[in-house]
Amino acid sequence: MSHLNKIRNVFSAIVYLIFLISGFQNLYAQDAEKNKVRLKADYVKIMDGEVYFNLGATSRINKENVDVANIELTISNEFDDDEIELGKVITDMEGRAKFVLKNLAAIQPDSTHTYNIVISFKGNDAFTRASKSISFKDAIIKANIITKDSINYISASLLDAQKDSLLSDRLLNVQVQRLFRPLPIGKEFNSTDENGTILVPIEEGIPGVDGKLTFEVVLKESDDYGTVKALVNAPVGVPIVEESTFDKRTMWSPRNKTPLFLLIVPNLLIIGMWGIIVYLIVNLFKISKPKIEKNENI
Amino acid sequence: MKVTNKLINDLAPREFSKAGVIWTWLLIIISVAGIIAYIDQVIKGQIVTNMNDYALWGIYISNFVFFVATSFVGAVTVAVLRLTNNSWRTPIVRIAEIISVAAIIMAGITIMIDMGRPDRLLNLFIHGRMQSPIIWDVIIIPTYIVISLLLLYFPLLPDFALLKKHFKKTSPKLSKWYGKLSLNWTGSADQKRIQLKSIQIVAFLTIPAGFMLQTIDAWLFSTLFRVGWDSTNMGAYFISGASVAGVGALVTVVYVIRRAYKLEDYITDYHFDKMGKFLVLTCLIYLYFNINEYLIPEFTSKKEEITHMNVLVSGKYAPLFWFVNIAGLVIPIITLLFKQGRKPLPMFFIGFLVVLGSWWKRYLIVTPTLLNPFLPMEGVPEEWHHYFPSLHEWLITAATLAMALLIITILVRYLPIIPIQRTADEQKLLKTEKNTEI
Amino acid sequence: MEDNNKNSRRKFLDKGLKLGLVTAIGGIGLSKLANKLNAQDNEHSGEKMELMTTDGNLIEVDSSEVMEMVPSENEEEKYNLREGMPNRKFVMVIDLAKCKNALKCQVACNKHHYITGDHAWLKVYKMQEDEDTAPYWMPTTCMHCDHPACVTVCPVDATFKRRDGLVLIDNERCIGCRFCMAACPYSTRVFNWSEPGQEITLNMNMEMASRKHNSIEYTGMPSVKGTVDKCDFCPHAIKENKLPHCVTACPNGVFYFGDKYEDTVTNGEESVRLSKLLRDKDGYRLMEGLGTKPSVYYLPPVDRLVDFEDGLENFTGYKSVDKPE
Repeated sequence: MSHLNKIRNVFSAIVYLIFLISGFQNLYAQDAEKNKVRLKADYVKIMDGEVYFNLGATSRINKENVDVANIELTISNEFDDDEIELGKVITDMEGRAKFVLKNLAAIQPDSTHTYNIVISFKGNDAFTRASKSISFKDAIIKANIITKDSINYISASLLDAQKDSLLSDRLLNVQVQRLFRPLPIGKEFNSTDENGTILVPIEEGIPGVDGKLTFEVVLKESDDYGTVKALVNAPVGVPIVEESTFDKRTMWSPRNKTPLFLLIVPNLLIIGMWGIIVYLIVNLFKISKPKIEKNENI
Repeated sequence: MKVTNKLINDLAPREFSKAGVIWTWLLIIISVAGIIAYIDQVIKGQIVTNMNDYALWGIYISNFVFFVATSFVGAVTVAVLRLTNNSWRTPIVRIAEIISVAAIIMAGITIMIDMGRPDRLLNLFIHGRMQSPIIWDVIIIPTYIVISLLLLYFPLLPDFALLKKHFKKTSPKLSKWYGKLSLNWTGSADQKRIQLKSIQIVAFLTIPAGFMLQTIDAWLFSTLFRVGWDSTNMGAYFISGASVAGVGALVTVVYVIRRAYKLEDYITDYHFDKMGKFLVLTCLIYLYFNINEYLIPEFTSKKEEITHMNVLVSGKYAPLFWFVNIAGLVIPIITLLFKQGRKPLPMFFIGFLVVLGSWWKRYLIVTPTLLNPFLPMEGVPEEWHHYFPSLHEWLITAATLAMALLIITILVRYLPIIPIQRTADEQKLLKTEKNTEI
Repeated sequence: MEDNNKNSRRKFLDKGLKLGLVTAIGGIGLSKLANKLNAQDNEHSGEKMELMTTDGNLIEVDSSEVMEMVPSENEEEKYNLREGMPNRKFVMVIDLAKCKNALKCQVACNKHHYITGDHAWLKVYKMQEDEDTAPYWMPTTCMHCDHPACVTVCPVDATFKRRDGLVLIDNERCIGCRFCMAACPYSTRVFNWSEPGQEITLNMNMEMASRKHNSIEYTGMPSVKGTVDKCDFCPHAIKENKLPHCVTACPNGVFYFGDKYEDTVTNGEESVRLSKLLRDKDGYRLMEGLGTKPSVYYLPPVDRLVDFEDGLENFTGYKSVDKPE
């Protein structure tokens, strides 16, 4: 080959190489540019109530954990190698979403009576695809109030729904429903005994509207049964007494509830003074119209 | 009863001399400058002042309190002296009434300057709460304005009738106005009866109204927790302080007018002597209140009170504090206790000192207390730890003072400064007495 | 003849003036009566709402003209905004033993209320009563007093005390007299001395742009020139069962918040009975002797978890709001 040709060949080879490498770079960069999404899912079941999944999407961007908002997550039931889509949700401003099932009958368990759910995100321009699978079995909590020696107790049993067998040595939380976070009662850890039950005394003097309280017995985030919550309503609380002065006449109430003293006395003073002022102004008018009959005497 | 020509010629309003014209124009210029500064404030917000979240009230409020205090002169001079039968007051009552009217009108205007949202002024009437001391202020100030105007107007009626005749040939237009304002005054028995009765009533009404005005002004401060304001003394303290400020202003203005209009025959050394004694009496009462207010906290030495007292007596505000109390109070008292001190010229200087001391005294009431809150001043810029008024505040405040003086000037220009008819009546009375003596 | 004319003129003027005077007085009387009747009406009617259009402009609309067309999350107000949430009495407990002056509370409050001035609503004071007593960090918010001095002195009912304990400000009614600021012994109120300049920060928040809100429960959104602002216990959050921003932002669990009627307060992690907490840890209120009955309780700085000096590195005596670059 001639010298020129050789150089041309080498030159084109180098150019091709450069293209190839940059091409790879590009491909690699595409993937490297997108951020990885981490999904989390918690299964919650309320006894005699709904079943739902608390979903969350986060991503680690610039060494900080950031909530991923506005992405679509698909929830499917894995059953017999099939994936049946149950629905889609979109995460909110805080990267969270709640997917509600009416009850567990809507989904199918596998042969071991375990429910398998997959939450997936098919990815978009900014984020890679991701998925998370959770498995759980159905558990039941039966809870009620019993009174012994004039002390109220919460009695609860934990059972596996399918085998109908009692589960012992599980930690249950007993708490009272409150506005922001529930108030725990009893010990921090109430362990179910060999009969799968717990007995927790209710402390005195918990206030509630009209004395009504709602207790929650919760199996929190267990590996095999998820979160199960039973609610017990009981009027064992102390009725709330309103302390607000809103309805009274006070110095700080709005003007329709002025203290009577301030309504009466200042208004009397005002009427008194302005009455005199009006009388004086009337006098001015009287002066300006002297009676014609009288003799003028300067 | 017949008003001599001499009397009318001496006391009728005259055109301004050159000095008067220059004086008026000066006041107008200052007022316009202030109005421009105020418009800037409305546009930009009160950020143009040097007020901040700690010094949240500044000279707008202390100026307002000064005006309210000065307007007490009407109640004190006209009403109190009347009830105590001090007949020497005749030549100065009109000036006192004029100062009263000017001061209380400017008080009403000045307080609106301090509002962050003057466009929502009507809220005070639509949504007003009777529990708030500000609403009591909003009620009493218009009431006192009307009462002061009536107190000025009723005695003017016969004088207006006289002036209508006096100016008939020289300035017919002016004469027509005087005629209208005189309300067809003929001096008939009926009219006199109504007028005298009305004067008696309005003079009597001025006293409770004036007392209420000063007390409510004091309660703007003493209904709050702050150190230096939370004093059971405040109401009486303010009434006494208002007497001092009012009489001080009266003395100063009377001297100037007397010189400008050559009224030495009517406002004599005797009148100055009497005014001097009155002023020293009010100053002594005020001194007593000051001693109570400033000495007792030093005795009990409560932590917060002592911080406040130290700032006044030996700290940041010490020069001002001692000026106000020594030059504004002690020196006037000492000077006025001597007959020589009660001559017209020394009294003019004393009066001026008293007014100056009164104005800065109200600054000392407002600012040091606000800069000494219960919780430490943290988390705010260093500038917020001090307060001195900005250019906008000075311009606007100067404008309000100029407008007050402008009102006085205009009223002095067109109203007979000394009540003509009344002076004639009193002279006739004197003549009759003299005659009967012989 | 002339006299007759004069007389009839006089009579006419006389009657005219009398009629005029009566009409004027009658008119004033009627309007005063109307106002009194109006004032006793439900405060909710005639309220103005501030809406942000989709291009970021703020417009004022009478609330009666606005139709409910929002998803169920933004429910129709179940209560009168000036009356407050029924059966609630909000309290806060601040545990001084845990405060290290991390200032995360202040940063969160400044951010979520779009504070642009020089004065934060939540301040952490460096306190020391005397040279011999221990220094400590003391976060203060508005105390939402039960005997509020600020509400008592407001001339136009712009600041008011609700049934649920909150003391709030109606920025549409405030006349900027600053009497409330003079009255507050805790120096907790701030004034908007100039235009707040929130355009950029408010605009960027899409959530604010797409939802309608009232200025009473959304203090600082927007702030209004010439009016007063202060900590509001975040009613926009607590009515959705979310804790106020300072409570959630504190990394040391210093702030507890809750309903006194439920006797429960929580700092997000632990929930305790309020009465037990105050009894066991000797809770007290600031300046109790003034009789303001604050809704914020303090737990004394005993058994400190952290040294006072560790908080000094964050201490900025002259700054409480971070300005954007």
